[in-house]
Amino acid sequence: MARAIKGSLVECDPSIKALIVKIDSDYRDIVIEELDDTHLLVDPSKIPFIKRELSKLLSENMYNLNEDNQA
Amino acid sequence: MSAPIQSSSTSSDLFKSTINEYLDNLPEAVHSQLYRSPETCLAIFRLLPSLAKFYIMTLLFQETAIPYADLNRWIKPQKATGHHRNANKIYQNESIKRLKALNLLKEIRKKVKHPTTGKLTTIVFVQLNPIFRQSFRDALTGFRDGIPRDQSEKIAETIEEAEAESEKTLETSSVSSSSGPSLENLFATKFKITVGFLDSYCLAKWENILHFMVGSKIKHYPSIGVLTLLRYSGLMELPSDRRHRQSVDADEDNFVVDDHYIDGERGPPSGEELKSLLITKNGFQFLLQDINSQIWTLLLQYLKMSEKLMMNPVDVLNFIFMLGSLELGEGYPIKVLSDTQLIMLEDLVDYGLIFYPKSENSEDTKGRIFYPTRLATSLTSESTKFKTASTVLNEQISNTDSNQGKIIIETNFKIYCYTTSPLQIAILNLFVHLKIRFANMVTGIVTRESVRGALINGITADQIITYLESHAHPGMVKKAEEKYAKKMEFETSIGNSYTADQIKYEVLPPTVVDQIKLWQLELDRIQTFKGYLYKDFANDFEFEKLLSYGEEIGVIVWRDKIHRKFFVTSDGNAQLIEYANRILRKSASRSVTPST
Repeated sequence: MARAIKGSLVECDPSIKALIVKIDSDYRDIVIEELDDTHLLVDPSKIPFIKRELSKLLSENMYNLNEDNQA
Repeated sequence: MSAPIQSSSTSSDLFKSTINEYLDNLPEAVHSQLYRSPETCLAIFRLLPSLAKFYIMTLLFQETAIPYADLNRWIKPQKATGHHRNANKIYQNESIKRLKALNLLKEIRKKVKHPTTGKLTTIVFVQLNPIFRQSFRDALTGFRDGIPRDQSEKIAETIEEAEAESEKTLETSSVSSSSGPSLENLFATKFKITVGFLDSYCLAKWENILHFMVGSKIKHYPSIGVLTLLRYSGLMELPSDRRHRQSVDADEDNFVVDDHYIDGERGPPSGEELKSLLITKNGFQFLLQDINSQIWTLLLQYLKMSEKLMMNPVDVLNFIFMLGSLELGEGYPIKVLSDTQLIMLEDLVDYGLIFYPKSENSEDTKGRIFYPTRLATSLTSESTKFKTASTVLNEQISNTDSNQGKIIIETNFKIYCYTTSPLQIAILNLFVHLKIRFANMVTGIVTRESVRGALINGITADQIITYLESHAHPGMVKKAEEKYAKKMEFETSIGNSYTADQIKYEVLPPTVVDQIKLWQLELDRIQTFKGYLYKDFANDFEFEKLLSYGEEIGVIVWRDKIHRKFFVTSDGNAQLIEYANRILRKSASRSVTPST
């Protein structure tokens, strides 16, 4: 009979998926299984951590209007 | 039968889901007690999805149980077309699940002999909860005792209690009437309770609470009951709470309200202390909801708190639901209420749900009368009616507020708002980076950071946009109308009727609207679902069978046919496992049969 694995399915763009895989390679034990280009099975308890890391990575590449004004 | 699946999560849906959740989680004994009251049955009926309502109506005058399979006949069967989920089936499943959770629908298993083959088979029959059926029939056919039956014996008690309470009552009613001096005069001179009076009364009360929440200076603080509830519900917190929370954990999501003082472990904060309450992020979100959802939010918190205070939840719920079926502008004697409900009455007066005039001679407690306000009578109305009631109220709020905000937003994201109302400024501050405040206006700029801050607090982009739209300056509205008319004229003059239909009426600059939506999308870069991944299937047959069943009941989130894997939501997992076991047993018995 089939096996069922508990986890959280993450649906995202391929680019974001690459970032999550990168986070996983830095911290380990996050991704349980890579399903396809846009889906991943991850540890449910790590989701807040993933989100935090993602927004950190993403905001590094963001143009900030306020900083610009002050300059 | 058309089966719309509501994906929109408007604020009214939101409140419904929360009251529904609360009801679902009550134990069966409480349900049975609740269903004794026809008003409650009616109110619960109103909160159900359409198909569930339909089932109840079908079963209501049916004395005998009907086979479960008959329920399926009201659903249009849809041919299994690969990936397409059967929307009707999902909708039906949801409706039946709700009915069962509320213990409205009872399943009975009966052995039935097949008429031709004579084989005994078990068929599942369904029946309405008998208590609910009786009460709901009473509600529909108009049968009603003068006094609700289960309370008749309590009446003598109630009166005594009421006398004991009368002192307290005097206090609260004097507080309540002082909230609007003009109202008091009105009442003193005319003694006539009109609908208009009730409307302005309840709005004054409610706005007072809202103003307190945003920290505007107000003359009359809401009563201690209201303040305690605001703190308890996590909408506001004491400065000491905030320090405590920040020191204990940085994770704001898991914030639990410290309710030691309710359990009696610690003395309750004094009234003076409570006046220093500060708003929390939940409180901000609360402010953006429409008035009816706000009331429901508070009432649910009230229910939770009342359980801690050992009040009977059945009494509390019955009273809330009864209010929903009362007539606006009519007075009702308090003698039909139980002890618990009398205590509640005082609290509801504080929220503005009820107007409870001071009696001339306080001895005469029996004859005292309370008036439900519009806030109370529109509690359980159907969504369409519900909306009109709340829009009426919202309009009144904006009309009574002479400093109504007039917002101008430019394409460069700069925002100007002509207002002096602290409420409006506080709301704007949620998603606007405010820069300068003048005597009669504030200016600011909508930035990625400011909108992100709001989004993280749980406010949606649509909420922000509708807020800006509904508070737009008349100049902006006029400009938008002109632009719309001009475009329309142009398109019709060149005979392009298709584009003419496409023209949208835009009050806000489209760049701003789009950008706010984009910021929201940017935040939801990942979507997560909790559940189970099924893999390593032994054969195609098993995989196909489980997958198609899962798709039919709408619990499959992701599938990969090549690698024979799929992902099931955690809600649907139990159902799927049950089904899997069923096929296993079937195939096992099949393999056994030929050999015997």
